[in-house]
Amino acid sequence: MVRVVAALVAVLAGAAPAGAGAAGPRPQPAVGNQAQSAASARSPQRALLDRYCVTCHNQRLLTGGLALDVADVSRVGEAPDVWEAVVLKLRGGMMPPAGRPRPDGAALDELRGWLEAELDRAAAAAVEPGRVPTHRLNRAEYANAVRDLLALDIDAEALLPADDTGHGFDNLAGTLALSPALMERYLTAARRISRLAVGDPAIGPGLTSRTYTVPIAMTQNDRMNAALPFGSRGGLAVRHRFPLDGEYVFTVRLKRSVYEYIVNLDEAHDLDVRIDGRRVARFTVGGAAPGKPAPVSFSGTFVAAGASEYPTQDWDDYRTGADAGLVVRVPVRAGARVVGVAFADKSWEHEGVLQPELREYGATVTETTDTSPRPEGPGLESVTIDGPYAATGPGETASRARVFVCRPDAADTGGEGCARTILARLARRAYRRPVGDADLEPLLAFYRAGREALREGQGRVAEGYRTGRRQESLREGDAESSREELSSEGSGPGQESSPEGRGADRREGRAAEGYRAGDADYREERAAAFEAGIQAAVERLLIDPEFLFRIERDPAGAAPGAPYRLPDLALASRLSFFLWSSIPDDELLDLAERGRLSDPGVVEDQVRRMLADPRASALVDNFAGQWLTLRSVAGIAPDPNLFPHFDENLREALRRETELFFESQLREDRSVVELLSADYTFLNERLARHYGIPGVTGSHYRRVSLAGREPAAARRLGLLGHGSILAVTSYGNRTSPVLRAKWLLENVLGTPPAPPPPDIPPLPTGGGAGEPRTVRERLAQHRASPACANCHAPMDPLGFALENFDAIGGWRERDAGVPIDASAVLADGVTAFEGPRGLRRVLLDRSDQFVETVAEKLFVYALGRGVEPHDRPVIRGIVRAAAADDHRWSSLVLGIVESAPFRMRRSES
Amino acid sequence: MIITRKAIPRRTVLRGVGAAVALPLLDGMVPAATALARTAARPVPRFGVVYIPNGVVIDEWTPAGDGAGFAFSPILAPLEPFRDRVLVLTGLTQNVNGLTARSGAVHGRCATKFLTGAIPRPFGQEGNDFLADVSLDQLVAREIGAETPIGSLELSLESGDKGAGTCDGGYSCTYSHTISWRGPRTPLPMEHNPRVVFERMFGDGGSTDPAARRARAERRRSLLDSVRGKAADLSRGLGPSDAARLGEYLDAVRDIERRIQGAEAQAARELPAFDQPAGVPAGFADHARLMFDLQVLAWQSDLTRVITFMVGREFSSRTYPEIGAPGGHHPLSHEGSAASREQLVRINKHHAEQFAYYVDRLAATADGDGSLLDHAIVYYGAGMAEGDHRPWNLPLVVAGGGGGRLAGGRHVRYAGGAGGGRSVDGGTPLANLHVTVLEKLGMRVDRLHDSTGRLDL
Repeated sequence: MVRVVAALVAVLAGAAPAGAGAAGPRPQPAVGNQAQSAASARSPQRALLDRYCVTCHNQRLLTGGLALDVADVSRVGEAPDVWEAVVLKLRGGMMPPAGRPRPDGAALDELRGWLEAELDRAAAAAVEPGRVPTHRLNRAEYANAVRDLLALDIDAEALLPADDTGHGFDNLAGTLALSPALMERYLTAARRISRLAVGDPAIGPGLTSRTYTVPIAMTQNDRMNAALPFGSRGGLAVRHRFPLDGEYVFTVRLKRSVYEYIVNLDEAHDLDVRIDGRRVARFTVGGAAPGKPAPVSFSGTFVAAGASEYPTQDWDDYRTGADAGLVVRVPVRAGARVVGVAFADKSWEHEGVLQPELREYGATVTETTDTSPRPEGPGLESVTIDGPYAATGPGETASRARVFVCRPDAADTGGEGCARTILARLARRAYRRPVGDADLEPLLAFYRAGREALREGQGRVAEGYRTGRRQESLREGDAESSREELSSEGSGPGQESSPEGRGADRREGRAAEGYRAGDADYREERAAAFEAGIQAAVERLLIDPEFLFRIERDPAGAAPGAPYRLPDLALASRLSFFLWSSIPDDELLDLAERGRLSDPGVVEDQVRRMLADPRASALVDNFAGQWLTLRSVAGIAPDPNLFPHFDENLREALRRETELFFESQLREDRSVVELLSADYTFLNERLARHYGIPGVTGSHYRRVSLAGREPAAARRLGLLGHGSILAVTSYGNRTSPVLRAKWLLENVLGTPPAPPPPDIPPLPTGGGAGEPRTVRERLAQHRASPACANCHAPMDPLGFALENFDAIGGWRERDAGVPIDASAVLADGVTAFEGPRGLRRVLLDRSDQFVETVAEKLFVYALGRGVEPHDRPVIRGIVRAAAADDHRWSSLVLGIVESAPFRMRRSES
Repeated sequence: MIITRKAIPRRTVLRGVGAAVALPLLDGMVPAATALARTAARPVPRFGVVYIPNGVVIDEWTPAGDGAGFAFSPILAPLEPFRDRVLVLTGLTQNVNGLTARSGAVHGRCATKFLTGAIPRPFGQEGNDFLADVSLDQLVAREIGAETPIGSLELSLESGDKGAGTCDGGYSCTYSHTISWRGPRTPLPMEHNPRVVFERMFGDGGSTDPAARRARAERRRSLLDSVRGKAADLSRGLGPSDAARLGEYLDAVRDIERRIQGAEAQAARELPAFDQPAGVPAGFADHARLMFDLQVLAWQSDLTRVITFMVGREFSSRTYPEIGAPGGHHPLSHEGSAASREQLVRINKHHAEQFAYYVDRLAATADGDGSLLDHAIVYYGAGMAEGDHRPWNLPLVVAGGGGGRLAGGRHVRYAGGAGGGRSVDGGTPLANLHVTVLEKLGMRVDRLHDSTGRLDL
């Protein structure tokens, strides 16, 4: 670190990049064409290489692409790609391979240390910051930018496609391409976002209506969400954006078995619909089945048979249609509101034979046949929110407050003065730089066009919210029918709507400032035209290349291929996209505009401020989510016959545990090593039950200490005990020590294994007489082939140590009836260890390797490009400097932020 | 970690984006030149599949008599008015090579093999959630859908909400919820909400009104015009690698602009006034007809040329009380009683009536020198004969004139499809029909799936 900073300072201070040393041609590989000097042949390094390495790594065999016989070890700095590869293998203890002659560990460590020092020295003499090309915002960055720009949460997954990944992350400049298809999506998104942000009065029910579905395999026994009241059971809570003040229709559908029978209707249950916690409707469902029920049968009930007396048709109709009337229409004020739909919980005493929660078909045995009561009662399948109908105004949303910072006054004819103010603020944030008239003119052109279009538009939209009312009348048929359903429901005992829920929103009509007094119609028309203009300008802003791309421009007259220091504005964007996956805020932009980021200590203060900000949770979602492969938890598919207890609740808990754990480590600024060793985690009842840890009740997550507790808790220390990671490294029907080892090598030790060859023989199937049964035995057979052993022998043992964890991360003592053998030996062939505890100890002994891996991953994520050989000395420097601060997260982040690759860029050569 | 300076091939990136994007939304604009120019000489080819779940009551489906003189069966009677444009094929099988002897996915394999020729793999084996093969419709879409704004549409009358779980003996629900696969690991979800389908076709303007379409095109044109200039300004002074991304942006802008120009000409083309549907109609028949209307509209406007449509997902237990069939479709298909059989026949015929509505609309919609029906080829059928999951002696109708290449008005029987026992050897593979139809659509392939030759149609 010290050296890197020194070099950086030297470059920054120099009027011109410091001569040939810094700006000279990039080092040429030394392989193959350089004669060895007699001196180097006799050096101890050369002697060691000759004795242990060149048998395979020579010009003729080129094993692993390395010809160490001709590589000049006296000029290491000239071939960083060769020697960094050697360092990597030595760091992992992977060379020489087990079974080959091998010097003692100290000699290897010495060679590695010497090589690293040589490489670092060479790098310090010539700053090479690398070059991140123009960077398109990825989906997460786009959504966060819209949130920060317009105070609008969008459903990015519905609007934009997923981005391609490289080096494990989806924010790499090199992979973020733009196709015509994607441009189409940006156009569509820009229109939709701008209309929602201003509250376009022409928004009809088509634009934002949405159905929220509870996965069929979600067990609905408990309170499902912190946004639902205590004493509720099942259902869901979602944050839905209501685009306008108006009426919305909520349609509730109950959970069905695959045979389309509503499940668990035997008893009556109350079902509440709430908006922002306030109840707007209560339904009663169940307990009212007429007629005679059906007998048990393999595929539902056979009313169709018709021949027998039971089940009767009315019973059958009830079981398929009892939720037909669960519709309520209520006025809601515009904005993002939490819609909660849940049952009032009842006390139940469990009777009858215990059944697994869920089986194949995503339903329990009893649900499939639907004849016996289940303790939990009915569930929710979906809620559809449809509207607005009879819109009365755009309301007072956070987005409108953010956008409409002014209103045209009487003197401001055409509203251009205010429009200019609004658009200047938005454009500055969107483009992440100061803006001038030339930037505003194109936006104002759209403002004018939008305003005029509305004025001329057959008076259609100019009538303001009368448009919404007209749409309403077009749909009168639908609306009438839902009203009828409502009133019939309302007259019965089943449903009561809360009076405060119905009237409250009506009192405030179109309350926006500026068009209250005077000639209301005229003012409203003027306001509508003004807002239409702003909408058009925002739409234009959102497809601007300066919004969609992060462009770093080489300084005018820069020498080709020369490193230069990034201006403060570019640095501000790098900081905010690194720490927040979003655009800079006003404070950061202000500092950058005034050139203050170069002042000593300012960047550090900003980094600490930004890490403390809620937006830093982007590091959890996007950095940890990808580095620790948490996003893959969504895709695991455990075999329901082997894991009948796996439900969506567990899937969610697995992911949340690791997210919350990582976030707490980050927020508390712990040493990154604690990821492996921390003696606490985050559990809810479902996950605690999975882990066999007692004393955790309820569906909310809380921090649980694992220190000094029973074995079930002790096994869960650190990341290696997290079910999320254990499950994503398994197949649906078995564990995979190979995948787990690969995960550890890549993400913890930073020494990824070579990719598998194309012609792999299949793993022997187990189970026959005299055949291996456990996965471990089957892999042992696989390794009997020399071709396979080459890669698997050093790799698999890491995974064997975790064999006590099954394919969904539960603890087991046996596999295929045989006691688990969790003993293992490291790649060096000597270090033996056993079980998760032993593995943890081995990894903690190599914590320097882990820290370097974290730094490397964070470096890739921060810059949006892969690590090049010339970056390795920088990363080693960051790790060395951070050691003084116990490798806390902030020390790694600051190390990266202060490094040459983050602060500088090489101009185009 | 060894980081090699590995270039990521542009093709890979674009393919990835394309797969995720699914298909661009193109303003209800079409390459009008192609649509209008290719009339008499070579009409626009179109291909549709309408799939019905759970098999049928095959005795009530199969017409009496062969060849041109056949008599429509009770279930197929609604198609009688279109006799000249309808082929009934009896006896085709998906059962060659004895593959159906395997247990599991008894419904899913019928649906999946129907167009892909592949047998589903069970869930979670070695990490493969699902695996099939490119489906026939997607092969066709690659060829004849390349020029249209939307490559293909995949539609259904039942939502795939349950798609995340497992169905059918531990197999992914995907196998029973879709019949369309873009690639071996890329099943295409079927959209059941007409509102969403409409928006995909015509954007968020809310109607097919030509003025609205023109306004949308005009708005986009001015947006693109504005950013094109700016992107060009920005890329000045940038080095080649920085300018490359802006180059992609400019390419994309020009590409869309070009298609807008085509759309301007096309906007003159009158489409029936059609407002954006508010959501899913409650009644089955209303929903079905609305979805068929949208399919006609999609072909009429040449937004797409390939559509697959599932009347129900495999394993569907929908009830049809409105036609006197209140038993669930799937349970009924396993009942042996006369009463349940009667209800099943009602359901089968009800489905055929909806299909007849579609055929009628296609026949009534002018296209070049004829009608849409004259130029299209549409399958109507199931992946199993009856509720007992036998995938041979499949119920199949092929409607449409195929641009003069397909002569209707016949009932053709194929040998070996009569079944009996738990499996049959030989028989005439369904894939022979696929190969034949591909040829009539202008794509010559020698073999597909387990095909053994061509049918003489």
